Amino acid sequence: MLAVIAALLAAPFAAALVSLRARAAAARAVTAITGVGSFGLVLALVPAASRGEVRYLDYLRVDAISVVFLLATSFLYAAVAVYSLGYLAHSRRDAGFSRYSRRFYAGLNLFAWSMLAAPMMSNLALLWIAVEVTTVISALLVAIEDTDGAAEAAWKYVLIASAGLGLALLATIFAYYAGAQVLGQHYNLSFGPLLQAGARLPHTPVRLAFGLAVLGFGTKMGLFPVHTWLPDAHSEAPTPVSALLSGSLLAVSFYAILRYYQVATAALGPRFPRDVLLVFGIASLLLAALYLIDQGDIKRLLAYSSMEHMGILAIGVSFGAPIALAGVLLHVLGHAAAKGNAFMGAGVLVQKFGSKRISRISGGLDLLPWSGPLFGVAVLALCAMPPFGIFRSEFEIVEGGFAASSNVAAAVLIVLVTLAFLGLSAMANRMLLMPRQTCHTAQGDGAAAAPVRGEPSGWMVVPVVAGVAALLVLGVHPPSELTALLTRAVHEMGVAA
Amino acid sequence: MSAVAAPSVYSGGASVIAVGVLLAEFGMFRQALLRDQVRLYAAQSGLISALAVLVAAARQLPELYVLAALSAGLKVVIVPIVLRRLLRGLGHGGDGAQQDQAAHGWTEIAGSGSLSLASTILLAIAVAAFGFFSVGALRIASPVLPPTALAISVSVALVAFVLMIMRRDVASQAIGFLSLENGISLAALVVAAGMPLILEVAFLFDLLVAVVVFELLIRLHHGRAESLSTADLTSLRG
Amino acid sequence: MSPNLPMPLIQVLQVMTVAVAAPGVSGVIARVEARLQGRTGPRVAQPYYDLAKLLRKEALAPEGASWVFLAAPLGAAACYLTVPLLIPVLTTFGLPLGYMGDILGGGFILSLASFLVAVAALDSGSPYAQLGASRAKTFAAITEPAVLFVIFVVALVTSTDLPYALAATVRSSSGQIAAPAHLLAAAALFMVILYETGRIPVETHTGTNEFGMIEEARPFEHSGPHLALLKWGSSMKQLILYTILLNVFVAPWGLAATPRAAAVGLAIIALLGKAAAAGTVVAVIDNSFAKLRLFKITEFAAAAFLLAVLGVFTLYLGGG
Repeated sequence: MLAVIAALLAAPFAAALVSLRARAAAARAVTAITGVGSFGLVLALVPAASRGEVRYLDYLRVDAISVVFLLATSFLYAAVAVYSLGYLAHSRRDAGFSRYSRRFYAGLNLFAWSMLAAPMMSNLALLWIAVEVTTVISALLVAIEDTDGAAEAAWKYVLIASAGLGLALLATIFAYYAGAQVLGQHYNLSFGPLLQAGARLPHTPVRLAFGLAVLGFGTKMGLFPVHTWLPDAHSEAPTPVSALLSGSLLAVSFYAILRYYQVATAALGPRFPRDVLLVFGIASLLLAALYLIDQGDIKRLLAYSSMEHMGILAIGVSFGAPIALAGVLLHVLGHAAAKGNAFMGAGVLVQKFGSKRISRISGGLDLLPWSGPLFGVAVLALCAMPPFGIFRSEFEIVEGGFAASSNVAAAVLIVLVTLAFLGLSAMANRMLLMPRQTCHTAQGDGAAAAPVRGEPSGWMVVPVVAGVAALLVLGVHPPSELTALLTRAVHEMGVAA
Repeated sequence: MSAVAAPSVYSGGASVIAVGVLLAEFGMFRQALLRDQVRLYAAQSGLISALAVLVAAARQLPELYVLAALSAGLKVVIVPIVLRRLLRGLGHGGDGAQQDQAAHGWTEIAGSGSLSLASTILLAIAVAAFGFFSVGALRIASPVLPPTALAISVSVALVAFVLMIMRRDVASQAIGFLSLENGISLAALVVAAGMPLILEVAFLFDLLVAVVVFELLIRLHHGRAESLSTADLTSLRG
Repeated sequence: MSPNLPMPLIQVLQVMTVAVAAPGVSGVIARVEARLQGRTGPRVAQPYYDLAKLLRKEALAPEGASWVFLAAPLGAAACYLTVPLLIPVLTTFGLPLGYMGDILGGGFILSLASFLVAVAALDSGSPYAQLGASRAKTFAAITEPAVLFVIFVVALVTSTDLPYALAATVRSSSGQIAAPAHLLAAAALFMVILYETGRIPVETHTGTNEFGMIEEARPFEHSGPHLALLKWGSSMKQLILYTILLNVFVAPWGLAATPRAAAVGLAIIALLGKAAAAGTVVAVIDNSFAKLRLFKITEFAAAAFLLAVLGVFTLYLGGG
């Protein structure tokens, strides 16, 4: 197992170094192989994690919860790495392409490396550092496109996210203080002992730490009111990066909050942490649902959908029933697959039609025989349509809500999710089903700009198909290893390890 | 109201230094030139290192000497040099035609805030009061410093947020963020003085990485907009 | 052994010291400032000669001015003569009339004097005087709360607001000087004093700069004995404020602990010495900084307010 973990840590970093030096073709190939390989490595970790936690070298700690998030990240890493093979193809003849692609692939690999490292950290300080590293790298990736919007989005992102992580650092410090009261002044913020000493921790510092952690890491997760960077950054970044941002980075920040939730529940009891998460979750969900209606930009649409799903995750944890927690973890996996698909499909649409504005995209189903329907499927999956994975996870969350007697919250959840469905599907409908108007071409676009039927690249279709398959598997019949993993993870979340 | 007992010399001295950090934070509102903001940041970091040395001497924590030296080296010397180099470098570039005064980064006048200075200071006082008393009410006892210092550090963090919100150019916002980190390291000094040194060093290193990325993005912004102002960053809405 | 002085005599001595020494302090400041600039400067006793000259001159009033214009200087001088009764000028113990009012009362009386002068300026109808009066009151909106917060610091530290008590507390332990609340309150008070006495960076004391005058503009229209009273009153205000700063916050030593004549005499000399030292500091500041532009004076006042507020904050939570 140590070999697997070491490989998981080393491979993407090595791929980043290779991408900096080698030619574009080699970089592409190495990235794709590393991505798929990482996913395979994480799959190999699943059986071990289902049985118990795995600790190495004092700094690494892999338990079932970690592996769930590693699965989400590595799946997206694989999908995006393959997708990039086709995504960058159309700009291959542009000036400065080799420099751009070098930076792009190096950044992509580093970004994935940091997100794979974060769930494996054994102490809270390293966790914070890992999340900070993800911020730094992703900010550079958001800025990689040479547009005004990208520069603005990157600056907003790095400033707000770093300020939020400053709060999270304060939370880490208070967590140290709480731990030091019980475990001595040389406590090194490692997570296992802190959880074990849970009931003995002083209440006020833990309360403060949890509140600050939700606010601080919630900045990176996209919780209201510190979500303002999210639509900008996710829409201005190149599509593969947007997919990783929405599908994995938000999840990694949620992972950090989950760790603080475990400590807070052990020390304070379930009431306070759940109330905090419920408030933030409902606020985020409400705001996202409202913004989804009549959104004009396709990637901003998907970004607000990510915010919606993060709100659902927070609400799910606040319900507290075991089935709700299982739903939350399944939702992390399902959202990663579905959001990745959606962004990848959106990328194809944007490339095809040359614009991110929804008003300029229409007739997708006709012009894109594969990506069009797949994008529609992805959007429907995001809206929790059976038989996809997100339906199962949201159903479990709502069921958990009723089981925990949080009837009002569950009802509000259902209403808001329906509202979000309205917004998403209306926009998707406009893009896919509405026939292409001839007046568009009459506006002076000229015949040269009229899009022709056909896929830009096969490489951009394959990962989406894989994603849909994954969603079907998750929704119809999750494999028994996965169920065992989820059961173990729920057990860890509910009980002080 | 009962009379407040006089503090010990150590406690009083430490509180004075902590108040000095808070005053430096307020002073950043006043500074019009970016150069002065950087110097004030260096002074603030120096105060925190001095406090670390004081705590190390009075409470017998030799690790803090190393930490004080490292943080002084990083935040008083290296980061201001990086910022100075960045800002000086922004003034160049472009053809020989007359560049306006604002393009010479090092002596650039920081973008004016959205409120007048006096109103901003009153707002900052209110915010600092909120932070100060809400943390104070929690009665978190620190082993090495008086609890005032923790409340002051949270006030510094909150005032740094106000600073970042009110400023209208990227360099001032970045320096505001750095002073936020200063406030948090002051809190760490109060509450987590015994944290293993390796973790504190890791935090410092991380700060350096963040500064490098900030520098890159500021260069990018300046490259596109020919100024450091954020007044035009309004295109992404909804 | 020197004889014990009776209490009423010491009380009168307090007022007399302030009244007589006040122009001298102004003279010292002017001379030091000139020396720092490389000039010889006026003699230290020059303000006395100026007052004597003004007393001999004719008093004029503008057309349309009422009795307020003529009565205000008298009222202001009366206020300035009352305040020394309330503050520790010469002694560490409270004198019989010293309990007439606490430090808050002293602050009120000083504000009353300022108000009277401002009303007289308004009454005169001269644009410069009115401008000065309005500016003074505008900035006072920020400096008065600063003074209040300084008083709160006194109150919180000693649970009274008698200035005598704070002076005693400061003398009792050296740690008190290092307390941040104390330093902040003293700094805030010093900044307010710079404003109240019309010094750099608020306005230039030398020369007439009509566009920047605040305090200086208010006696613009008075002449003769009234002007003498106003000038004398403002120098008394200066010495009173210095006395509060020095004898309560910064250097409360040298005051007479017993009513012995020698001790009281020593106290008078100590007070004059301390006031001269404070005046020297003000002169150095005069020569080191530039005058602030008018709208930046709000920033200056806000800074004083900030220091005073922080002084109150740090008293909580055991910061001292």
